Amino acid sequence: MSTKNKLKTKLRIKLGTKNEDTWCPGCPNHNILESTKRVLTKLIGKGYKQEDFAMVTGIGCHAKIFDYLNISGIYGLHGRVLPTALGIKLGNPNLTVLGFAGDGDTYAEGMAHFIHAGRYNANMTLVVHDNQSFSLTTGQSTPTSQQGYKNKAKPFGEFDKPLNPIKLALASGMSFIARCNARDVAHTERILEKAIRHKGFSFVEIIQDCLIFNLEANNKDGLMYKISDNKNKKKAEQLAEEWDYNNKHGRIPLGVIYQEKKKTLEEKWPQLAALSKTLRKRKISRKRKTEIK
Amino acid sequence: MRLNILIGGKAGQGINKVSEIVSMILIKQGYFVFNYRDYPSLIRGGHNFNILSVSEEKIGSYQSKLDGIVALDQKTIALHKNKLKKGGFVVDSKDFENLGRNLNLALAGALIKILGIDNKILMEEIKKEFNKKEALSAAEKGLASQKNIFNIKKQNNNNITLMTGSQGIAQGAINSRIDRYIAYPMTPATGVMHELAASQLKNDKTISHNNNKNIHQHNHQNNLLVFQAENEIAVVNAALGASFTGAKTIIGTSGGGFDLMCEGISLQGQSEIPLVIYLAARPGPGTGVPTYSSQADLNIALRGGHGEFPRIVIAPGDPLECIEKTNEAFYLSEKFNSLSVILSDKHLAESWFSSDRKPNKILNVKSSRNRKIPGKRIVKASSYEHDEMGYTTESAEIAAQKAKGRLLKYEKIQKECDKFEMIKIHGKKKSKNLIIGWGSTKTVILDAIKGLDYKFLQVLYLMPLSDKIREEMKKAKKIILIEENMTGQLGRIIREKTSLKIKHRILKYDGRTFSSDVLRDEILKVKNEYKK
Ligand SMILES: Cc1ncc(C[n+]2csc(CCOP(=O)(O)OP(=O)(O)O)c2C)c(N)n1
Ligand code: SF4
Repeated sequence: MSTKNKLKTKLRIKLGTKNEDTWCPGCPNHNILESTKRVLTKLIGKGYKQEDFAMVTGIGCHAKIFDYLNISGIYGLHGRVLPTALGIKLGNPNLTVLGFAGDGDTYAEGMAHFIHAGRYNANMTLVVHDNQSFSLTTGQSTPTSQQGYKNKAKPFGEFDKPLNPIKLALASGMSFIARCNARDVAHTERILEKAIRHKGFSFVEIIQDCLIFNLEANNKDGLMYKISDNKNKKKAEQLAEEWDYNNKHGRIPLGVIYQEKKKTLEEKWPQLAALSKTLRKRKISRKRKTEIK
Repeated sequence: MRLNILIGGKAGQGINKVSEIVSMILIKQGYFVFNYRDYPSLIRGGHNFNILSVSEEKIGSYQSKLDGIVALDQKTIALHKNKLKKGGFVVDSKDFENLGRNLNLALAGALIKILGIDNKILMEEIKKEFNKKEALSAAEKGLASQKNIFNIKKQNNNNITLMTGSQGIAQGAINSRIDRYIAYPMTPATGVMHELAASQLKNDKTISHNNNKNIHQHNHQNNLLVFQAENEIAVVNAALGASFTGAKTIIGTSGGGFDLMCEGISLQGQSEIPLVIYLAARPGPGTGVPTYSSQADLNIALRGGHGEFPRIVIAPGDPLECIEKTNEAFYLSEKFNSLSVILSDKHLAESWFSSDRKPNKILNVKSSRNRKIPGKRIVKASSYEHDEMGYTTESAEIAAQKAKGRLLKYEKIQKECDKFEMIKIHGKKKSKNLIIGWGSTKTVILDAIKGLDYKFLQVLYLMPLSDKIREEMKKAKKIILIEENMTGQLGRIIREKTSLKIKHRILKYDGRTFSSDVLRDEILKVKNEYKK
């Protein structure tokens, strides 16, 4: 092994934890964890500090990632990833904040927060593990479940058509919108890196099959295709329309669907700019002190 | 001497300006004033009134009988003239035509003349604030329109401050060097949001209308940020996020918003991220009577949020106590990583109180950036039961251990609270007649029992509750509970703690606060019942 690779392995171990893995065997949540570890390893290799990351999770299968990732964070309430993460940015704008949320979490319980995130445009990343089901509560339908989905709470099948989170994100003015496939670890890693590096609010919707509930919704890989990064709004709207979340027709574009430059929360508030400077200075002087010791 | 003057009109006509100008002049003349504000939930029209009460002695209430009415519209006279004492005066805005926005100044002038204050004092005040020809001539018209009735001579009281409870809370937060105030607008909590928003990035001397040096002890530029979030659920979760990073954070709301925050409050209990909540109550249930006052939210302040976890609930009784108790709330919350609720209501938040007391020295709230915070190390906070590292656990052993830990923490909090004034004793210290009350009824009770053989036990800490309450109750022969709610909520928690039931209760629950003369009569009625 080259020294560079050795370093990477060491870091990867530091990013993992010894907690028991309680996801179902083969659950694609594992892949999202893997992509995240890879991107964090890469960023830490390039100068980001491990202690400068902070994550927020909702409640659901997706949220267990909190216990498997050795970075700071808050295992928050169901549906409240976004306000909690926003609070972290208001408290310390220098932290790199990652939110991991479910589709039930984001589009049902926490929808009010989702549509405001684009306006605030805080410099942070929201990752939605969209399995089109409330999995941890045993498979009820979420706002992205397909019409007709029969589950224990809806024996007549889901009456309503799903909403399209990508269209909603565009309408809400989010400055970075992307879609990934959990199974494609390398692509997800690349998109996550772009999302984290984007200055402003980044929304990454990850299509994640659940192996236990809403099986009809699974295995859409054949419809998926990768696009190159798009910055054109009209084009983004077309891309968003290509798949309606309701059936397995059409094509599912993956990649950066839209990106634009917009003033961030941290740039809008002079208090945050000032705090960012003070904290950075303090950190440098602390580092100097330890070096002298 | 005690005067009560009602100033009434339509919303938007500027009755507050009249009371404000006159109040500022009166406190400079060494008088104590109290200004009650009564207004319905609308922006233009309707009927608003203030009752301005004046005395050379300390006061903190208004009385039901009026010495005069200043009417910006005819409805004011029609609605209130039955409360006018014999020979009481009426200043009618009909007598001043075409003054436009300067009508307030003419009315202030009329009132100053009636009170018998030197014309020059008003003119100087108006020069300082407006310095416009029209303003000065309006004031002169007012002065010329009336004859002198009272004889307000300068008193020897110095350094009287005029403050609302909202300003007190804001000042207390600034004194504790807060970093973030997060809120969603809701009357009557909004006052604090407005005060703090205006003081962002300014020197800390900006709060409160009069720059009394008694109140302002810090003098540095703050880096405070006031954030209005999309709803109260966002408010509480964002506050926990901010506080997690070491930012000293306070959030403010009224009953309905507090209800929405309850899950977040419970998350505080599990995650032990310090949090201070300002709860300003108004009458419920539901939207209730939103611009009026109530003490009915004590229960939810004490119990809101599922599960069992420690908290501190403090109810200041006047603006200076708002300063001090907000400071204590921060101190305790930072020391114990706990939840502090500061409980107030519309009456305390929005009435103008005067005082010449100097507030206690500021408690130094340790900088939260010295806690374990992200950016310095890896820290995990969780809504699940968790081990020391912050990782999820479902172990029965750890669950029981953590629950006991929370109880133990409450015991430590109780000990620490003993250092502060958890209760105060007012009135005749040796009396066997005891009145028990809390929050905004403090100052009206003080006025009502002046000269009577009564001791008044003011409860400031509602959780934990002081052991001294039982001692005081044991010493008393007659006890009266006074609260502005229907069920006597303080009485219930006192009974829970002491197993003593208070037989006599004076309760008011129509959204209006007690006037001191009516309350005095009610207290005397209870006394007579004892005699029977
Ligand atoms: C306020 C609240 N309501 C309901 C729940 C119960 N609950 C736990 S997980 C969950 C659904 C999770 O679904 P999703 O967010 O899609 O995550 P997944 O399990 O599919 O990853 C619900 C409803 C809760 N924890 N809190
Ligand atoms: S229930 Fe579904 S989402 Fe949850 S761990 Fe199992 S496979 Fe994954």
